[in-house]
Amino acid sequence: MKKTEEIKKTIADILELPQDIVLDLPKITMVGNLQLYVENHKGIVEYSSNRVRIFTKCGVLRVIGKNLLLKNIVLEEIVIVGEIREVEFDD
Amino acid sequence: MLILRLWNYFRGYVIINIEGLNLERFINMCIEKNIYLWNIQRKSYTTLEARVGIKGFKDLRKITRRCGCKISIARKNGYPFWAHKVKKRKMLLTGAFFSLLLIVVASSFIYSVDIIGNERVEEDLIINALGEMGLKPGVNRYSVNLREIENQMLTEFHQLAWVGIELRGIYAKIEVVEKIQPPEIIDKDTPCNVIAKKNGVIERIIARNGDAVVEKGDIVSEGDLLITGMVQRDSLQSPLYVHAYGEIYARTYYDIIKSVFLTEIKKEKTGEEYSRKMLRIGQMELTFHGGKVPFDNYILENEIKTITLWRNIKLPVEIMIEDYYEAVDIEERLDIEEVKIKMHDEAIHELMEEIPLEGEITNTIIDFQNTGDLLQGKFTIEVIENIAQQKKLDIEED
Repeated sequence: MKKTEEIKKTIADILELPQDIVLDLPKITMVGNLQLYVENHKGIVEYSSNRVRIFTKCGVLRVIGKNLLLKNIVLEEIVIVGEIREVEFDD
Repeated sequence: MLILRLWNYFRGYVIINIEGLNLERFINMCIEKNIYLWNIQRKSYTTLEARVGIKGFKDLRKITRRCGCKISIARKNGYPFWAHKVKKRKMLLTGAFFSLLLIVVASSFIYSVDIIGNERVEEDLIINALGEMGLKPGVNRYSVNLREIENQMLTEFHQLAWVGIELRGIYAKIEVVEKIQPPEIIDKDTPCNVIAKKNGVIERIIARNGDAVVEKGDIVSEGDLLITGMVQRDSLQSPLYVHAYGEIYARTYYDIIKSVFLTEIKKEKTGEEYSRKMLRIGQMELTFHGGKVPFDNYILENEIKTITLWRNIKLPVEIMIEDYYEAVDIEERLDIEEVKIKMHDEAIHELMEEIPLEGEITNTIIDFQNTGDLLQGKFTIEVIENIAQQKKLDIEED
């Protein structure tokens, strides 16, 4: 498994393909500390008003903040609105 | 995202409360089943609030069974729910429909006819004529042909130069422009006299045709004969009728008397106030607040509140509020010189409006008389002007 990943990464590097598509990685976009878009997620692990954990290909994405709200949630994308303080990857 | 909100409103959505232990699993299952949830909010450890579309809500049932959580509807929102509610109230709908119909029908009638711009032609005459042509209160606005009535009006009234009818909702505005009658010009071949237009003392006579019958220094009054068009000579058997014309300059006087009291009594409010409220229905007056006025000397300020139904139509119910302010008389002596100047200015201003432009002002006489408290001023302006006016000569044919 590890081997195929590496080959994919090299091919993507050589051909300059966007890595989030080739490697099936999440694409995270933030607007200030107000909004967070996570594209290509694998589901939600935990949701409370000050902590959201989202499952992705490269581990669990943890968002910590205040008054967090799931504005929008579909197969491809999650939009979190609120006062975001921390964003980190857990293994 | 206004568009998204509008879209959701038209599709209809429900706000639901989800109760359970493993709510993340519930969300993930919704994603999997393609149920669109939005505005998900954590209420407490075991509850979530979310919004979901009507169609999605039906699919939620299966999921709740599988993950063991309970769903309750907090609120239904959107157009489909509203429409459903209205559908049950049929009378409300019919009522709304009929009131709309009533407004449409009622507003297609003309309720009042107003005429603007008439000065010499009487309003009643115009209104009657319009009524005969079919434009009167109570007539349907679509049944009258305005352009035709305008033309008819012009043929009916020769004094009118233009008629414009405008319908503003239920109100017909008729604007008329009257013809300005030109001064009567007497044909050059028609015999005529010259008479006096005003009272005055003759100053200069220029008779270009006809015989002057007045001399310098004569006092004439309005309508007196100045130059006759009937020329009689010894050599002629019968008088010769001519078109008399000429200029007669006369001294005319314009005067005005003004009087002013030198002491003025001014009332000053002391600050004490008393108000009475009354209700008037027709002729009946009901005082419902306050009784006898406790002051002897007061300033009264009235305020009347009426309910206006439509334009000038008022309900015969009025609320009158009378405010009484206690007052003290204060006598004030005016400065005589100042009053004189003020009177003079006013008088001259008023007189100047009467004096024709071509008149030549020769003298101004001002006379002040002071009798006790009263100051009287007489202002006279002497003018030399042409007072000639032509008048057709009636010839009695023998």
